[in-house]
Amino acid sequence: MDEKLIGDIRLAIDEACSNVIKHAYKGDVSRKIIIKYTIRPDKFHVVIEDNGLTAMKKTLKGRDLDDIRPGGLGIHFIKRVFDVFELDEKKKKGNRLILVKYFK
Amino acid sequence: MKIESIDYKGKKIIAITGDIDMYSSPELRNEMMGHIMKKAAALYIDLKSVTYIDSSGIATFVEGLKSMKLYGGKLQFCGIPNSILEIFRFSKLDRVFEIHSTVDDAINS
Repeated sequence: MDEKLIGDIRLAIDEACSNVIKHAYKGDVSRKIIIKYTIRPDKFHVVIEDNGLTAMKKTLKGRDLDDIRPGGLGIHFIKRVFDVFELDEKKKKGNRLILVKYFK
Repeated sequence: MKIESIDYKGKKIIAITGDIDMYSSPELRNEMMGHIMKKAAALYIDLKSVTYIDSSGIATFVEGLKSMKLYGGKLQFCGIPNSILEIFRFSKLDRVFEIHSTVDDAINS
């Protein structure tokens, strides 16, 4: 992976974890976030899990980029780099976010 | 992250070094809003030594811009590294932020 892609992925994972702290854990930084990843020649697969409040679809939609105001950018920074952005609906308590980046 | 407020050629410069993230952006907000509460006519944000910015940092600057606009103040950005400029462009903030290569360029604009 080149430096730019590593930087973009760092930002995306950072934003995903910030969202967990803000929305699922309501600001409690002592709660656990589990990050699992696999790297293969064709893709980078990441799973981010928490046991907090289940995300509302509304909080998973970033603001319109043309609507310049504070907040609402994190989701855009994640979707900017990852090809797959999916909440696992099978998880009963908390959230499981699945992110996949395919290498061309 | 390290923040320095500097008086340079009679202008107020906020020079930031390091990462602007969820943990450090509240300190940046306090520093910036402190000047804005005093109705600073212009603030120059020097980002040349910034290594990382996340959405909380961007939100802090958008809040500063909106607050200064209310009284006709100007928030200007200088020395933005390419990796961070790309984030500004992606967020369409290059259209609303005044961006200059250096602090001197911004002051002379």
